[in-house]
Amino acid sequence: MIRRQFLKSSLGVTAAVAASSCGSQDRRVKLTIGADADPAVDILKDDFLPLFEKDTGIRAEWVEADYSGWLQKALNDGETKAGAFDIYVMDDLWVPQFAGSGYLANLDELGFQVDGDFVPSALDLGYWPPKIGLRQPGIDIRAKPVLYSLPLISDVQLLFYRRDIYTAGAPETWNDVLRMARQKSDPSKRRYGWVTRGVKGNPIMNSFFVLLHDFGGDVFGEHWKVVCNSPQAVEALEFYLSLLAYEPQGVAEFDSDQEGETLLQGNAFAATMWTGWCHQINDPAKSRVVGEIDFAVPPKKVNRVAKLGLFMAGIAASAPHKPEAMEFLRWVSRPDIQIRYARAGGMPYKLSAFKDEEARARFPYLGAALEALTVGVASPRISDWSKVEDILGTELNKALLEKGNAKQHLDAATAEATAFLKNAGYYAE
Amino acid sequence: MRNRLLYWALLAPTALFALAMTVLPLVYSLRASLQEFRLGRPPAFVGLQNFQALLHDSSFHSSLGTTLIYTIFATGIEFLLGLGLALLLKEEFPFLKVIRSSLIIPMVIAPIVVGIIWRLLYSADVGLLSFAVQALTGKSFSVLSDTALALPALILVDIWEWTPFMFLILLAGIQSLPQEPFEAARVDGASPWNIFVNLTLPMLRPVIAVAVLIRALDAFTVFDQVFVLTQGGPGTATEVATLMIYKTAFRFSQFGYGAAMAVAVLVLVACFSAAVTRAFKGSV
Repeated sequence: MIRRQFLKSSLGVTAAVAASSCGSQDRRVKLTIGADADPAVDILKDDFLPLFEKDTGIRAEWVEADYSGWLQKALNDGETKAGAFDIYVMDDLWVPQFAGSGYLANLDELGFQVDGDFVPSALDLGYWPPKIGLRQPGIDIRAKPVLYSLPLISDVQLLFYRRDIYTAGAPETWNDVLRMARQKSDPSKRRYGWVTRGVKGNPIMNSFFVLLHDFGGDVFGEHWKVVCNSPQAVEALEFYLSLLAYEPQGVAEFDSDQEGETLLQGNAFAATMWTGWCHQINDPAKSRVVGEIDFAVPPKKVNRVAKLGLFMAGIAASAPHKPEAMEFLRWVSRPDIQIRYARAGGMPYKLSAFKDEEARARFPYLGAALEALTVGVASPRISDWSKVEDILGTELNKALLEKGNAKQHLDAATAEATAFLKNAGYYAE
Repeated sequence: MRNRLLYWALLAPTALFALAMTVLPLVYSLRASLQEFRLGRPPAFVGLQNFQALLHDSSFHSSLGTTLIYTIFATGIEFLLGLGLALLLKEEFPFLKVIRSSLIIPMVIAPIVVGIIWRLLYSADVGLLSFAVQALTGKSFSVLSDTALALPALILVDIWEWTPFMFLILLAGIQSLPQEPFEAARVDGASPWNIFVNLTLPMLRPVIAVAVLIRALDAFTVFDQVFVLTQGGPGTATEVATLMIYKTAFRFSQFGYGAAMAVAVLVLVACFSAAVTRAFKGSV
């Protein structure tokens, strides 16, 4: 009897130890999340990652590098299938490259269930091939879009404007911006009506993209025809150049850090900037214009649009811990977490979080951000966009330096981009 | 026979390591340069097509021209300044050690940090340089957004950082020269200029060759400062070859074409090295 009892209890203890060790083994894994070192991810990284670890018992390591360095690392990991990262945090324009190259795991197959609470424009960016718009050569027009990544931070360009200057509220049109700049700029006192990013390539394109679409222009027409020298595009660029007279000297070398600093130091009245800056505007340690900046969807000309530039999260195809990575995505997408995230000053991607009264009371920019996301336009969904963007961005930068010749530079950009796309097989012979 | 086996066995780890670290990446790059290798599409062998495209790529030619200008001016000025400093500081005098030590500070700073320091100095809105020019002339001044000034500004950074390298090598060379020929020349009444031209320079030839070769190769592959300071702008004024290779491969995801550019630059650099070595034959 004693022997039997001993055997029973021994078996029980052994089973319990085995079960607990299996469980703790699962929890002992370390999730590796790679990301670009951007202030926009700070709240998620510093406040919510520890919360995820506490909630789930899964350890998570956040590995960051500068934008280019991180892109290089992620591409390398994707190409070699090294499995150094479980989750890639990507600029949304990387999704076509990464998903098209097989670097990302299919989230549909991994069992992620999409609900109706996602901001539609944000969720759409995670699909490949794209749900709407043109498809690059080699992609079957009938191919079903597959979910490869989820939004992680809803970054979108808003109009940041000084409420003491724009006393009647946000400028409705671009002409309102120009008029106010003319009236109130005083370069001798470092008071500028506008500030922009002028560095060639992606920075200047991000600034011009909104104007281009607002003026009714676009980069591509039907069948990938480059139309960035259309009359609307030329008008948009001429308007962009007309604002130069009311901007700081040397904006041709301004990237988003200098643009943001100009606004934060109270030297500019308005700018279109990423929502990642919203939090810093009201931080007394960084800003001289605490409480003086308001936010709105960029003004209108023909259209009213905002540029989308979301941080997306995809599970690496070679991820060693796919179930845990999926658990992270499910956890961060939970409505209660999204609401907490919004209340902490983060930029959520769930409608319920944007509409949360407490979050909106604390961070009024959430309303403008949701509106901007609704009318948001993303970079064209092709893996060759970076090259096209560089071509356009270089010519825009030249026009900015010459303070003119808009048509000439847009013609040059159109010709070069067309030649590149032709060579890359975008046009049928 | 046993000795021979032991010899190969001891050599093998190092040889394999060297093979893995140098030859294999080179072979991989060569293979990639013969492929149409873009993200989203499977690599396909295209023979010399990428190199043919390079022959007609005006942007690449322009970047090579910019790199050449950068290399010639940076190396040339660094050599002249380095030689001048070496001649000036070869004799013993008070505080010599302090001066020599402080001269090499720029060289020990990481290039990326050098880029950041100079970006702050050149900055149009908060930069010391633009502030000084504005205070003196009343006009605003922006170096990095001026197509005529951006490249000289980058060359200046290189000169600031690497002149100490030239100085150190040339100083070591000057100090190692035998003194007898100089004493004999002085006894014969040769002027300092004659001594410099007819004795110092010829005797320094091997040292000069090595210093110029090392600096020129380094300047030809400059990347960090350009990346931090200008990103190749304004326009394409500072678009050097290495930046173009980097962008082509890692931003535009055209790995095959980027690899072809890298191979082309490698061949040019190898030809340049061979030419310098031949020019200084017997010295190097």
